[in-house]
Amino acid sequence: MAFDMTMALFRPALKYAMEKNGHGKTLGLKMTEINRGQINLTFPYKEEVVGNPLTGVVHGGVIVSLLDTACGSAAMTVLTTPAVAPTMDLRLDYMHPAEPYKSIYVEAKVYRQTSNVIFCRGLAWQEDKENPIAHCVANFMKVDSKSISFSAIAVNQLRRLIPWGERSSSEQDSGK
Amino acid sequence: MSAQQDNHPLEDWQASVTAARLEKCPQSVIEMIPYASFIGAQAKIENDQLLYWLDKRPSNIGNPSLPALHGGVIGGFLELAAAVEIIYNLDITAVPKVVDFSLDYLRAGRYKTVYAKCNVLRQGKKLVNVTAIAWQDEENTPIATARCHFLI
Repeated sequence: MAFDMTMALFRPALKYAMEKNGHGKTLGLKMTEINRGQINLTFPYKEEVVGNPLTGVVHGGVIVSLLDTACGSAAMTVLTTPAVAPTMDLRLDYMHPAEPYKSIYVEAKVYRQTSNVIFCRGLAWQEDKENPIAHCVANFMKVDSKSISFSAIAVNQLRRLIPWGERSSSEQDSGK
Repeated sequence: MSAQQDNHPLEDWQASVTAARLEKCPQSVIEMIPYASFIGAQAKIENDQLLYWLDKRPSNIGNPSLPALHGGVIGGFLELAAAVEIIYNLDITAVPKVVDFSLDYLRAGRYKTVYAKCNVLRQGKKLVNVTAIAWQDEENTPIATARCHFLI
């Protein structure tokens, strides 16, 4: 495969946005592979997200979050112009309950895209990929956007970490 | 003592659910599920119907630049609400098992409280069909709707 410059730049931004922000950070998921049209991620077992306290099985909502993150990220990797890809819908089939104390692996693939819609499939499994715990299909809209992009998120995060140059209005006020 | 209690987790579970129903306190059912406190979901009775809500918190953000709620959190919240609706309202003994879940996102979930209501459309011997609807400002402008099947 030829070296993909755009992906090489996009990869760390996406990984950062998904692993170090909001719900992705709280879940503690790890993006293990980011390629054009395909995302793999790993979720280590956490007791805080148990859905059935009798068995220790994680709540289905976690699988929704994982698959939504993976499919959404996969959809973003195929965007070639500044745009966002909000989820239209998501359908999940639970084949069997997840086993407690084991990591969950997720793979999402874009299998078709048209001028307006991106179609994704996702799979979640633990030990055997052939015996998945859940399968999902998710569709995303392509919405043009110049202001919302991953580079903007990355720049915002960097600004927060390194307060270079600019002084915020509150600082200026307090300095008077 | 604790070992004896651990031997009957299902009975403890049923006793807690029965107590919650008697006290008309769905919040204690939702608190039995660790995932609920992970996302911060709460429940109460309003006009004889269960109302669920999710206060805003930074750990539920999906897109920090807007900021918007994580789509997975909205989905997880609706699935949780549907499960609690079954546990609280229907006379079943075990924890319902989710079979499938379908979610339509109608509007972006802004960084503020989300409310949800559920409706059990059909209860069979094995299968229950539940719909859930989530909104932020007004009930007639929903941000997401969901439909799930549970095995009981």
